[in-house]
Amino acid sequence: MAIAGIVWACADSGEENFSMFSPEAFVAKEYTPFFYDASYWYYSGNVEVDDNNNRFNDQIVSEWDAYFNDQLSKPTLRYLLLKASQKGIDSANNYVNGKITKLKPDSIQINTSKLDKAKFNNLFAYLKLAKECEKFAVIAPYGWYDTPPTLPPVSAKLESSLSSAFNNSKDPFIKQRLWFQLVRYYFFNDDTIKSKTGAIDNKAGILVWFNNYKGTFPQNLTYYRAMGYVAGYYRRKGNYALSNYLYSRCYDYSYELKIPSKFSFHAQQETDWRATLKLAKTNAEKITLWHMLGMEYDPVRAVKEIAALDPKSDKMDLLLSRIINMSEGEGESNFSGKVADSTQQAIKKAEVTEVNLIDSIALKNNNTKPYYWNLAAGYLNYIYKDYKKAAKFYDVAKKQLPANDKLITAQYKLLTILLNIDELQRIDSKTEAKITEPLTWLVNLRDGKEKIAALRFDPALGICANHIAQIYQKQGDWLKANCFKDSITFYTDSSHVQKLVDLMTKPQKSAFETTMLRYYPHTLDELYYHQATLLTYKEEVDKALQKMSLVKKMSPDTLYANPFNSRLNDCHDCDHVAHQKQKFSPLTFLKTMQSIKTDLKAGKDVYRNAWLLANAYYNITYYGNGRLFYQSAIIGAIDFDPGYISAPFQKMVTSQNIAEKYYLLAMANAQTDEQKARCTFMAAKCERNEYYNQYSANNKNSEIEQAPVPTSGKYFADLKNHYSNTKYYQEVLQECGYFKRFVTGK
Amino acid sequence: MGNRSFRRYLGVIILACLLGSCKKSESVNTAFYYWKSTFSLSAQQSDILKQSAGNNLYLRFFDVNWNSQYHNAFPNAIINFNQRANSLKITPVIFITNSTFENIAANAVDSLAIHCSALVNTIVLKQKINYKAIQIDCDWTLNTREKYFSFLKSFKKVNGHFLEATIRLHQVKYMETTGVPPIDKGVLMFYNMGKVTTNASQPNSIYNQADAVKYISRIAEYPLPLDVALPLFSWSVHIRDGKVIQIYGNIGKKELSNTANFIQNENMYRAKKSFFLNGIYIKESDNFKLEEISLVTLKNAANQLAPHLHPQKNRTIIYYELANLNLSEFNAQSLNQISADF
Repeated sequence: MAIAGIVWACADSGEENFSMFSPEAFVAKEYTPFFYDASYWYYSGNVEVDDNNNRFNDQIVSEWDAYFNDQLSKPTLRYLLLKASQKGIDSANNYVNGKITKLKPDSIQINTSKLDKAKFNNLFAYLKLAKECEKFAVIAPYGWYDTPPTLPPVSAKLESSLSSAFNNSKDPFIKQRLWFQLVRYYFFNDDTIKSKTGAIDNKAGILVWFNNYKGTFPQNLTYYRAMGYVAGYYRRKGNYALSNYLYSRCYDYSYELKIPSKFSFHAQQETDWRATLKLAKTNAEKITLWHMLGMEYDPVRAVKEIAALDPKSDKMDLLLSRIINMSEGEGESNFSGKVADSTQQAIKKAEVTEVNLIDSIALKNNNTKPYYWNLAAGYLNYIYKDYKKAAKFYDVAKKQLPANDKLITAQYKLLTILLNIDELQRIDSKTEAKITEPLTWLVNLRDGKEKIAALRFDPALGICANHIAQIYQKQGDWLKANCFKDSITFYTDSSHVQKLVDLMTKPQKSAFETTMLRYYPHTLDELYYHQATLLTYKEEVDKALQKMSLVKKMSPDTLYANPFNSRLNDCHDCDHVAHQKQKFSPLTFLKTMQSIKTDLKAGKDVYRNAWLLANAYYNITYYGNGRLFYQSAIIGAIDFDPGYISAPFQKMVTSQNIAEKYYLLAMANAQTDEQKARCTFMAAKCERNEYYNQYSANNKNSEIEQAPVPTSGKYFADLKNHYSNTKYYQEVLQECGYFKRFVTGK
Repeated sequence: MGNRSFRRYLGVIILACLLGSCKKSESVNTAFYYWKSTFSLSAQQSDILKQSAGNNLYLRFFDVNWNSQYHNAFPNAIINFNQRANSLKITPVIFITNSTFENIAANAVDSLAIHCSALVNTIVLKQKINYKAIQIDCDWTLNTREKYFSFLKSFKKVNGHFLEATIRLHQVKYMETTGVPPIDKGVLMFYNMGKVTTNASQPNSIYNQADAVKYISRIAEYPLPLDVALPLFSWSVHIRDGKVIQIYGNIGKKELSNTANFIQNENMYRAKKSFFLNGIYIKESDNFKLEEISLVTLKNAANQLAPHLHPQKNRTIIYYELANLNLSEFNAQSLNQISADF
């Protein structure tokens, strides 16, 4: 039985089911398509299982392979049975009978000397008819048809050809297949079943053929496929009871039949369902019916019914996994506190019914997988926050776990870790020692150092880390709290960051510390970069440079524009594409700043150096061409509005104070009116940017583009009153509409 | 396209004013939608269609869905004719899911238009139906606007008939962002305006005055001639564990009034047990919120909307829909009275 390609994808995308309970650990593989999936009809969006035209192909080939006793290769059989046209069949037949010498296509081979000719003739005769039948039975499911799928005309002789072939056939293998073809033929072509409203006609071809010979053949796939068509006949007639009953028998037979049977199972009214139940001849049949109802509609009710009929029935396994996985979905909103009060009560009531039922069955310990029930009951109680009860069930389960089952053992471990961590109230060094191993195990799973197929561990990392962080927070241990749950406010204080740096660079770390740091998302480089950033905005350039020098892999590594240049109108893109003789990295930027500062201190060329420094400090704010400087892994890179910059750093990277200070210093040392005009206008820009900063701080829900135009301010007036004689003044008039409006009053 | 239609529309207004009838347009047509996939009218349905709507029927021909398995758009629920429709005045309607346009490649839109038009023409040919106009129904959004509009352009080019499309209230309110489709005429869907919630006291989501107010003010600005679609349906909202899980048109007052199955509290009906009903599984304690449109509500809706519409000659009021029409509540006379309000 091939169930390929069904893999629980871990952590790669945010869209999969929220789950920490793997049905794979407890439920038979043949139920895999029906594992709970919040988004898809079949588990993990596996649409191949829904392919009605190809579902039985592998089985069919295997059956014929057995019939031929390996005389024909599987690819050859596959071609003849599934792919070849009538012409292809004829050609193969001609080859076997020596009428042609070359077999086509090249991919098939027939060794005629080894071949049982009689059997081949059987196959040939059967295929002639079967291919004819496929014209109406195997149809492409979708297309731009005018009436939904139009069936090609069926040869008038087909019915009699099929029945005479059936009557003449001596080979039971062939005969059963012809019987199947006849049943299917009547499903598609019998006039009496075409109308939906017609009553069931016991003389209908499909029923006559099925009933007359159903006892003649082995109850194999072909038998149950024929039964499936009979069920379809009843369904079409609106006799849901008979149809459901037959579908449930098919469902029970094999993996391949489960999907179409489940899909077709339907009750229109309650009377249909009651009548369905009445048709069940044994408790086992009744259980399958409840199982099917549970899978589609109501697992809790179904489990209750099944447990009463046979507490050992494995038909509850799938249902239990679906109950748990569905509750996790509910639990997820509990975890994140999203559930509205008004719905709480209704949910609570459903939870109680559910937990009580699962508890009561688990407590009996009388089914085939008591460990499964105890784990499930424990986990359900954990989800609904009854930790005491959860622990009790887990304890019982522990003693019942099958030996050497890696997945089940891991599942048990995962669930108990979740419970133990959630139960923690305080964490001292003893506790740390105790939780080191489980936390390491989880993080090893995350990093692929430990691999357990099908284990759904991913959400556990976040849940455990969050809870631990909360406890440390309460205990005032902000450093450890931040390792488990990274928070941006932590990085406002350089000494905090230094503590983290110290911890990361400490040569002798405890086992707990080593594990804890694996939960922490940032690298040492990122911390150094961040420290350098903070120091830069504090104007401690020497220290900043020191920190920046420690960064091994710089990110960001190159600034887009020359940060020492200024521009009348802010245009970052223009600056970015402008020719740059020298490209600055954050490090060379700081180095240059340092040398400018040294010169400035020494009183060298004060106007020019103050001007350059002012530009640099302007450019590394939100408004400048070098904002990339602060857009690190820690502060983040969202830049379309200052309101979206990480709150603790908004002021630092938007404030114009430093830039303005240096523009004013430059002005005080300027020699020409041109220079002064320039400095005044740049100070005006700082003044106006501060206005936008204020607007952004006071209007949380708007963006600065919506801000009203700022008042003209001090520096516009200065520019107008003192420097209208300059060339630069004319440039400003040309470029800056706000200034022009201020001057002209228009 | 939009502009041209707008000019034509202005022309109509100006002409109407010149003739001195700017107050109210004289001729209003009544029509019905028919949305089931099997076309089969009862004698009463035929009667009301003839008497109130002069056999004007907007007939859903097929849906177009996105098939994620085959990564392609396919027609779905193609109409089956159990009786002749060629004596009626049929306007074919195609319902296209928005997800079709979310998924389809931009360069596949033209061929979708060709397919749709060809399928419509095959059906009309077979049924010997003549049609003058065709209507597309799609709840497009900002993301699908471009592809949907280019579909409409292609469709018009291929099909050639007068092209109408449904316009939802949010598309009127936010016309700048959702855009105005390149069509000859819009049909304003004046229903499904409220939120579907679990709250019993929340006003009817099909139509309620308060929600309508939020959308109604911009209708007059809409730059296309508009017909109007009004709701003639009811539904029940299936609520489980405090959450809306489905909406059903086939569970109504008749089903919910069965006291063996439900306990009623105003418009809420709580299931007394777990059972199947009309193909739906109902769990004990599930709630059904019944939302109905009565003659009075319908009249209120018409009265609220009418003053906001630009006068328009030959406006058609299309009622949704004929197959599920409650004939004990509505008759030809009452519907004609409502249409006359426009």
